[in-house]
Amino acid sequence: MTNSTITKKHSNERTFQIINKTIITIVLTIVAMAVLYPLIYLVSAAFAPGNSISSLNIIPFKDGVTLEHYRFLFNNTNYMLWFKNTFLIALGTSVTTVLTCAIAAYVFSRFRFPFKKSMMLSLLILQIFPSFVGMVAIYVILLRIGGLDTLWGMVLIYLAGNIPYNTWLVKSYIDSIPRSLDEAARIDGASNARTFFQIVLPLAKPIIIFLAITSFTGPWMEFVFSKMILRSNAKQTLALGLFSFVTDKKNEFTTFCAGALIIAIPFVIFFVLTQRILVTSLSSGALKE
Amino acid sequence: MIATASAAEIPSRTKVLVTSLLFMGLAHLLYLKQYIKGIFFASIEVLFFIFLPRIWEKIVGMITLGDPQPNLPIRERDHSMFMLIDGIMILAVILIFVMLYYLSVKSALSGWQEIQINGKFPDKGSFFSEIGDKAFPVAGLMPAILLVLFFVIVPLVFSACVAFTNYSAPKNIPPNNTVDWVGLDNFRALFGGDAIWTGAMGRVAAWTLIWATLATITCYAGGIIMAVVLQESRIRLKTVFRSIFILPYAVPTVVSMLIWQNLLNGSFGTVNRTLIALGLITKDTVIPWLSDPKMARFMCIAINLWAGFPYFMLLTMGTMTSINKDQYEAADIDGASPIQRFRFITLPQVLYQTMPLIIMSFTFNINNFGAIFFLTGGNPIVADSTITSARGTDIMVTWIYKLTITLLKYNYASVLAVCIFVILAPFAIYNFRRTKSFKEGEL
Repeated sequence: MTNSTITKKHSNERTFQIINKTIITIVLTIVAMAVLYPLIYLVSAAFAPGNSISSLNIIPFKDGVTLEHYRFLFNNTNYMLWFKNTFLIALGTSVTTVLTCAIAAYVFSRFRFPFKKSMMLSLLILQIFPSFVGMVAIYVILLRIGGLDTLWGMVLIYLAGNIPYNTWLVKSYIDSIPRSLDEAARIDGASNARTFFQIVLPLAKPIIIFLAITSFTGPWMEFVFSKMILRSNAKQTLALGLFSFVTDKKNEFTTFCAGALIIAIPFVIFFVLTQRILVTSLSSGALKE
Repeated sequence: MIATASAAEIPSRTKVLVTSLLFMGLAHLLYLKQYIKGIFFASIEVLFFIFLPRIWEKIVGMITLGDPQPNLPIRERDHSMFMLIDGIMILAVILIFVMLYYLSVKSALSGWQEIQINGKFPDKGSFFSEIGDKAFPVAGLMPAILLVLFFVIVPLVFSACVAFTNYSAPKNIPPNNTVDWVGLDNFRALFGGDAIWTGAMGRVAAWTLIWATLATITCYAGGIIMAVVLQESRIRLKTVFRSIFILPYAVPTVVSMLIWQNLLNGSFGTVNRTLIALGLITKDTVIPWLSDPKMARFMCIAINLWAGFPYFMLLTMGTMTSINKDQYEAADIDGASPIQRFRFITLPQVLYQTMPLIIMSFTFNINNFGAIFFLTGGNPIVADSTITSARGTDIMVTWIYKLTITLLKYNYASVLAVCIFVILAPFAIYNFRRTKSFKEGEL
């Protein structure tokens, strides 16, 4: 091989690489545009004048920017109340889910007791069924215990629905914490409760944080149960309130977008910031069960 | 004081077994000197007997579901559904009672064994601290068990029971009227008995399976392709593109689907108006994105790809980073092309690692209420929609919702729920066999 053919081969490879990169960049750009398409309209509609989708200019931000929808949301609707209700439900669900699942997972991981196998098996099978298959029954049960149209009723439903999957998730994690650590604590005379709260819980922090966040974000946009359980105006949530803007009867698309944007932004910031952690927790949580 | 038991004081095993079987806690009180445990168990059985007449009444109510009492005012009539749910809850309570009974016998026998081995009764001090410590696992599990029992299992059983009743509008809605057990009538109606309902059932079931299959495959393939392109391309803007691509995953489904619904609106939506402005279509030839049954189904899958590929992209990227770098170096030395490296190193490992998630994703899509309900609402209307409420893109879960909320045909909704149960059962078993606990023989 002469020198010139080597350089030729090199330059060939380089042009090939450049073409390759250009094609890939173009493809990625097209996909990115498709991904961003509805989101750009979400942002532009939130600040666009007019009410319905038909009055929305097809070129985003062409008709100027206005804050009238936000003024409308905060002055003329119960947006703050919906926000407060949703926040309380989400917080309640998150705290109770973490407590219930973490303790149950610890007990499943570290203790031997009768019916343990059948209980774990039932949890595993139950996690596959969506809880609203039994929604009529849940309605009647809440009616029986006075939980209809209350926020704690919603927390109970979400909490119960969270238990089967998340108990398994946390249990798998606690299984991977060496038993010698809590056995050492037991030998030093710590009670079960103390061992759990002071040794195991701090070590399980990553999965606890993951659980706290996922169970906090879950209720924000849940629709089916809120619609069925929360009837009075004082108990509406964000999903219900926002959905009411785009029903068949009225189309206030721009107001819907304005309200939805406030929710979407923290979600997006959170996901973009934590994408690295998300990648690892998704793959380790789901794959190596 | 240490109570040393003489040989005469140690009861025989049969005595302990018989007395503990005879009445909960009796053996603890009579022979084992575990008074607190004994009183606890005994009081549970006493409570059970006190409430036995009511328990019996509830069970009978569950079997009869009440009698029609047209002469009474509505408030005083039998409410069949309350009777059914009370009956199921009582069954759950009986289940707990039986489990406790079993526990009490077991505890008596193990207590007897301990005395037998130690030759003495446990002294009081250790007994109390032991109770405090033993209470932790019980108290820790109790909330989870009770919640799952009453808010997950009881509703599922209720649902399954309703499938065998005639709980439906207009004739059998409590409290005005009662509900009766009708055996397999609902199943017969939906599987061949009633032409219109059978037709709707077949259509919805077929579409549910097609939807779940295609939605899973497209998202999975799309996610892998995007992950590989991003990872292998080595372009500088990689992080920017990745951040853009995870946006659909970050935006709540309700929000993104409702936006798509509006953008794809036939006459007002921005998509069609943009195409008109570009001169690609005219006002008379607008594309019926969501109003033509076939097109609407296609759009459901396409928009779901938009919403669902980021999840698989993130997962694939996670597994790709865990692939051993040495393999790539070895491949480079052997002169493998990038395509060969992908085909023989990356793809097999990614497929192997993410395969279980395809199954999970399939079950998720069977139940994917939000992706259909907020995008199309089940629309467009087809021939039988006015009677069955099932529209062109309705899947089983959205149909269940409509049957429950608008038509009040709880019986048919429950049959659908039972069908979902049957479809998903194999996946539940798969899910179980895949777990580490099963593989290591713990379960």
